[in-house]
Amino acid sequence: MNQEEQFLSVLEDNKGILYKLANAYCRDIEDRKDLVQEMVFQLWKSFDNYHQTYKVSTWMYRVALNVAISFYRKDHKRKGQTDSITDSILNLTESGVSTDEEQRLLLLQQFISELKELDKAVMLLYLEEKSHRVIAEIVGLSESNVGTKINRIKTTLTQKFSTIKNQY
Amino acid sequence: MDQTDILNIWKAYDKKLEETLSLNRQLTVEVTRLKTKSLLKSMTPIKGFTLLVGMGWVTAGTIIISNLFRYAYDSVSPFFLISATIQIGLTAIALGIYLYQLVLIHHVDISNTLLKTQKRLANLKSSTLWSARILFLQLPVWTTFYLSQDMFQSGNLAYIIINCAVTLVALAISLWLFVHIRYANREKKWFKYIFEGREWSPVIRAMELNDEIKSFERE
Repeated sequence: MNQEEQFLSVLEDNKGILYKLANAYCRDIEDRKDLVQEMVFQLWKSFDNYHQTYKVSTWMYRVALNVAISFYRKDHKRKGQTDSITDSILNLTESGVSTDEEQRLLLLQQFISELKELDKAVMLLYLEEKSHRVIAEIVGLSESNVGTKINRIKTTLTQKFSTIKNQY
Repeated sequence: MDQTDILNIWKAYDKKLEETLSLNRQLTVEVTRLKTKSLLKSMTPIKGFTLLVGMGWVTAGTIIISNLFRYAYDSVSPFFLISATIQIGLTAIALGIYLYQLVLIHHVDISNTLLKTQKRLANLKSSTLWSARILFLQLPVWTTFYLSQDMFQSGNLAYIIINCAVTLVALAISLWLFVHIRYANREKKWFKYIFEGREWSPVIRAMELNDEIKSFERE
């Protein structure tokens, strides 16, 4: 398998990561398309330097989250490396998820998007059920610090859900 | 809703994506075949243009001034020579710093931990303020380059006093800005006035992220 095929296979196995991160950091559909392309481009650029010291998903989270956080600090008018491509790398077909479930997911996504950029990264990794050690490796904090942050963010989120529930 | 419910919502989302998300392989291959653009090409046209104009200005200025020093030193006003040398020198330093920071930003390792990468990016971007500080230092020389020795020997006293006053005010402003253009003053009105506009917004956002990183590490 050549390097390009290896990369495609890694992306295929982990495409959900890119979609979820892009969705959490970018609410605008057009910008999100650009963000996914920028993530893929940067992943490809650093694929050579990927060492197996970490799991492939750890490397992927690091690059994709760094791109997502930096993306928002760029001027939005600025076109990225991939400005010649107009289609979408990731495509979602409609599924039969119940409205209630969909509604709760939308609320959760909205609450996550309201978090600060680094808190958002920690929360997304927690939701992906990554261990404190892996989250610490990706974010660059100590494991105990990760635990404290997760507890604080979880409390914020549950409070937000309770507030919404009380309104109805 | 408790924490388990939140995790369950995410699991359902995951399941949905597993069933419905597809990767456009052809497009991904196209992205992998894109060449990395050079630093200059990756900039906005206005930034690239400004840099080219700046480099042109410094090069032309250096050639003209060095020739004036070599061949016409006695016939050119020393005020002009010194003012122009300071102006070109400061512009060259500011451009050099700006370019060096851009190169460093271009080469930041994006596969490092979030805190390391974002800290480095935010620090580098915030430090482009150094270029602005140095550029403001040249303000006084714009009030001295047209002066001549004749003017001081036979000129109108009022004109000389006004000129000196203007130069002193420009010097005071430039020194004040050099000292005060820094991160700690980012919320001040004058700071926001100078650095408003699209070209500076990434630098301002980088400073905000710097703040966020600091509080994130403290909490």
